[in-house]
Amino acid sequence: MAIRVNPKLIDEIERYGAEDVSNCYHCGNCSAVCPHSKDPFVFPRRSMRMLQMGLESKLLSSLEPWLCYYCGQCSEQCPREAEPGETMMSLRRWLTSRYDFTGISRLFYRSWKAEVVAVIVLAILTGLGFAFYGLSQGDIRVYDGPGAFLPSARVHLFDWGMAAVLTLLLAVNSVRMWWFTVGSRKDIAVPLLSYLKGVVTLPFHFFTQKRYAQCGEKGPWLLHLALMLSYVVMFTLIMFFLHEVQAGPQINWSVHAFGYAASAGLIGATILMLRGRVKKTRPGTKHSHETDWIFLVLLLYVGTTGVVQHVLHRTGFELAANVAYLAHMMGVVPMLVLEVPFGKWSHLAYRPLAMFFSELVADGLRARAGAAQQAGVPGAQPARVF
Amino acid sequence: MRIGVFLRQSGREGINYEAVANYARNLPEVELVREVNERPRPDPLALAEEIRGAGLDRIVLAADCPGRLKPAFTRAMALAGRDPTEVRLASFREHGGGGANLTERAQAIVACATRGVPFSLAAESRLMPVNRATLVIGGGVGGIQAALEIADAGQKVYLVERSGTIGGHMAMFDKTFPTLDCAACILTPKMVAVGQHECIELMTYSEVQQITGEPGAYRATILKKARRVDPKACVSCGVCAEVCPTRVPSEFDCGIAERKAVYMPFPQAVPNVYLIDETQCTYVQSGGKRCGACAKKCPKGCINLDQRDETIEVEVGNIVLAVGYDMLDASKIAAFGYGKLPNVLTSLEFERLTNASGPTGGRIVTKTRQFNKRRKVEEWVLSADGEPPRSVAIIHCVGSRDARYNSYCSRVCCMYSLKFAHLVKEKLEGAPCYEFYIDMRAFGKGYEEFAERIKAEGTFVVRGRTAAVIERDGQMYVKGEDMVHDSVVEFPVDMVILAVGLVPAAGTRRLAEMLRVPVDRDGWLQELDYNGDPTETERGGVFVAGACHAPKDIPDTVAQASAVAAGVLKSISRGKTLGSRADLDLSTIEARARTLRLA
Repeated sequence: MAIRVNPKLIDEIERYGAEDVSNCYHCGNCSAVCPHSKDPFVFPRRSMRMLQMGLESKLLSSLEPWLCYYCGQCSEQCPREAEPGETMMSLRRWLTSRYDFTGISRLFYRSWKAEVVAVIVLAILTGLGFAFYGLSQGDIRVYDGPGAFLPSARVHLFDWGMAAVLTLLLAVNSVRMWWFTVGSRKDIAVPLLSYLKGVVTLPFHFFTQKRYAQCGEKGPWLLHLALMLSYVVMFTLIMFFLHEVQAGPQINWSVHAFGYAASAGLIGATILMLRGRVKKTRPGTKHSHETDWIFLVLLLYVGTTGVVQHVLHRTGFELAANVAYLAHMMGVVPMLVLEVPFGKWSHLAYRPLAMFFSELVADGLRARAGAAQQAGVPGAQPARVF
Repeated sequence: MRIGVFLRQSGREGINYEAVANYARNLPEVELVREVNERPRPDPLALAEEIRGAGLDRIVLAADCPGRLKPAFTRAMALAGRDPTEVRLASFREHGGGGANLTERAQAIVACATRGVPFSLAAESRLMPVNRATLVIGGGVGGIQAALEIADAGQKVYLVERSGTIGGHMAMFDKTFPTLDCAACILTPKMVAVGQHECIELMTYSEVQQITGEPGAYRATILKKARRVDPKACVSCGVCAEVCPTRVPSEFDCGIAERKAVYMPFPQAVPNVYLIDETQCTYVQSGGKRCGACAKKCPKGCINLDQRDETIEVEVGNIVLAVGYDMLDASKIAAFGYGKLPNVLTSLEFERLTNASGPTGGRIVTKTRQFNKRRKVEEWVLSADGEPPRSVAIIHCVGSRDARYNSYCSRVCCMYSLKFAHLVKEKLEGAPCYEFYIDMRAFGKGYEEFAERIKAEGTFVVRGRTAAVIERDGQMYVKGEDMVHDSVVEFPVDMVILAVGLVPAAGTRRLAEMLRVPVDRDGWLQELDYNGDPTETERGGVFVAGACHAPKDIPDTVAQASAVAAGVLKSISRGKTLGSRADLDLSTIEARARTLRLA
């Protein structure tokens, strides 16, 4: 099959943050220092090569960018300062935009202004919607119980509806990811058993992020894990225990203790991450794309307003609590709607899926090599192009 | 004619780009002066539009290496319907713009380019009378060759060498590539010829302290360090070294063997006499209170431990700089473990190890742990009865082509590494030898064939740079990407040889400042014109030969040294030498560029 070459591919990826791809002269230092680079996924040099050669379809079907956690050793040791780590990061952004069928992701990654406008518009719409709804059926001076401005039962319904829509969008993108990286590959046939085996590892990867821990330094992994677990706890509280969370003004420790821990985790981790990006403490935080800032700032805003509305409610300022609640929702809705299916947050699905798919591809390659060996093809090896 | 000047800044210190741009604006016929960048790449269509809009018929690209911008502009000129050959380059770097007043030089280069006059023609200096004697600084193969060529033509040469013997790095080598000749067999006859030549006054263990004067009439002050052994009387019997109690690492053996405080660098040294290292000698260090055994035992009585340094002055017309290179300090690169892992050697150490005149008699062995009775410590030492390595890895490009160390290619490492692989294969039967390389730069006559030969001999040539040398359970491993087989490999090895890059020799910069010869950004001595005058310098009557000009192998060094000799002899036979280009001011060059254009 003929391979199409896109000579503008590097220019395209540079719009996603990569800078010095063409500096690379293929010494292979990066692939050798990378703790994750193992057969059959040897990277990042291979990805650099594909980029330089404009092999768009090969890149689209590659899982390597998702196997990289940007410890930055490759960039630190690169003799050409070609920033392979940042290239992998940019490829993740590019892949995110390619998995997304709506094209919204592509728009946001290529124009942060568009993303900011979208955030603001969505925030205003959310604010107007909730304010209109709240005022039409309740009293802004009442936080909870009868006549509440934003009754938890209604908000709950809204949450479930939003979650369903976002999950659907993300699911469609995930299926597209599967198609690009596994399904459409003609050269390998993945045994069905591999799917069954692999699917078991999905939650394991999701909750432990074990691979991130193998990067050498443990700090970034712990920070990321803390943020993720806090988010999962908060998500569970809101999706299943919103009534208890919102009830008050007494503190219900059996529920709120979780909320406090999760809030502390979310805000603390976000602040540390922002600090890392401001101070450029390690290679992974040296280059920040505009979308990274938008994501973290939104997260900090949402976390802080959430805490503020809670505190105001507990201290009896119900009107102020409702206003803060409204402000909180004006952050939550744009953040979730834009980031989960189209933005940085989508990696919550793509990362573990990539782990899963990479096992499938590896199994497929092994099966092919085995079959070739049985058929007596001399020197039968998976096709190795680069 | 309407001229457009496009200036690219490359952040070089010393050039005031603003001043160059302003100067260019005031040049006749210049209609447009603007900045241009390499990235994003200039778009020929937009440029053509600009060229048509401004009605330009000549483009001047002014930068370090402006040639990289040329294709886009040539195309733009063609697209605009102008003469595409009217894209002129004003090359700051290539035209020796490394002197004192870089801004003025850059302006002069731009002025010449706008007039379409080659800068080297406009900047020709006036002729000055020349003293027939020549000073050659550096006694490596380059200095030896230049000195011999000039002396063979019957002219007086002073050859000054910092160490106790001439021969330089080449004397340390075992074999030369690609012919696998014995290096000593080629070099020692030349060394002896220098020692015996009636036209060469050899000054070893000496340093040039000061040079004054002008092209054609330089006066050099040379410090002759006290050798403390009378070279005329010494018959190199070696009794002094036998009785000397002080042992220090031998420079000639790269520290893998020891010498005494009174020593001869190596048995074929020229002059073939001993000398005393005053920094290590007990007698000298104690102010004459202790030791002095060598002087007592010398059968010829030729040791004078109280000899003093002396300075002499010589008058010369031309000066040849052939000061060579140093090796990059490999311990700077932590990933390769040099200095920590005992069996990680630099290339020069391996040269001594595999050399038949080296400390192990040419046996390739790994280091063994021995108790040093004198210093009472366990040490890793190379001894002839050591274990031969079961496998060897050779790592190319150590500190070369690397933005963190030397961005340039050191040019000789690929070939000497291949030579090492051959020696390993020859001396260690059955031991796998891995070469980790990025690009195989086998560029010279017979080099590619040599590379093919080494591959055919069974060396594993791995395309991929080694990322790290690690030790696990007492076994060393080299880790790298094998690009051809698309996998990350880790080979167990007993010896690692680092193909360390070349850096300018210590003191090159001081010498350059003393002579007002510019150095390039990496510290190598700058030639007058990259293509046209690769042996002369900005300073009239000062020539460069060999690796002090840029990393160079032996054939190229010898060729350049001979070319230098031709330049020196030219000035002697015409009785005149060119003055310094650095002394020309802007208005002189401008005026000359005008006349050239009329002519």
